[in-house]
Amino acid sequence: MSTYISGGCKNGKSYYAQRVAKAGGAPLYYIATMIPHDAEDHARICRHRIEREGWDFETLECGLDILRCLEDADPKGSFLLDSVTALLSNEMFTPEGIRMDAPERVAEALETFIKRAPNTVLVSDYIFSDAMLYDELTEAYRRGLAAIDRRIARCCDNVIEVTCGQFIAHKGALPL
Amino acid sequence: MIVIIGGSYQGKLDFARERFGLTDDDIQICDETTDAIDFSRRCIAYIDRFGLNRIRSGIEPADCFKTDPVRLKDMIFIANDISGGVVPVDPVLRAWREACGRLNLYLCREADEVWRLFCGIPQRIK
Repeated sequence: MSTYISGGCKNGKSYYAQRVAKAGGAPLYYIATMIPHDAEDHARICRHRIEREGWDFETLECGLDILRCLEDADPKGSFLLDSVTALLSNEMFTPEGIRMDAPERVAEALETFIKRAPNTVLVSDYIFSDAMLYDELTEAYRRGLAAIDRRIARCCDNVIEVTCGQFIAHKGALPL
Repeated sequence: MIVIIGGSYQGKLDFARERFGLTDDDIQICDETTDAIDFSRRCIAYIDRFGLNRIRSGIEPADCFKTDPVRLKDMIFIANDISGGVVPVDPVLRAWREACGRLNLYLCREADEVWRLFCGIPQRIK
């Protein structure tokens, strides 16, 4: 079963996603999407690793080209991809420059990913309701993330919004 | 009256077109330069952008909808929810954010149906 989870920052998305993935069986994979750039990133990754201790996750490092991580994994396993937001950021803002085709490529790759590994939980971030006027590049990123959200929501069994540690099923049912 | 709200790019306009059979001619798409609502159209999209234009002119956006409540009865309003972020440092954006809250409260109170879009999925909340 595939589940798409979104919501605001620090509302309990990741912890819920871990529980849903864990309930999805074994082998259990955590797809680490963050590419560390500085000490703060390393500290965050370290904190997340400690949080996942004892959950029996095998970590797959995959910040780019998400289908790569299926090469060394059992597609019948349970996958947790946290987060779509980081994945898009890595694919869009590269050391070689800005790739405006990233949203389309990421959406395409994620669709294929879910077809090959149907037991996947994906976490995204709801960054769409603030009163800011952004520059065109930031706006392109927000538009791109929302386009991915909408497309992947169509092919996932469950679409869950997390707010204040509470869960709303917009499609399918609450897996837990 | 029908109000459709949700964050940016969540599929509000696509939903309105599909569910209520709207064509381009039925819809007024507002941006920051829109200074008047065209009440001859069935649907007004992005009333928050119109709100920003009015705030910049020192006018309360909700007042522009209260002049003739009868006309609003058969209309569809689409609003970006801009209420979820940090309080803006810019006083104009701060005023805009609060004015949109008042406008949405007014319209949703008068509305027969209120829909919220999330990841392209509609939910009727009134």
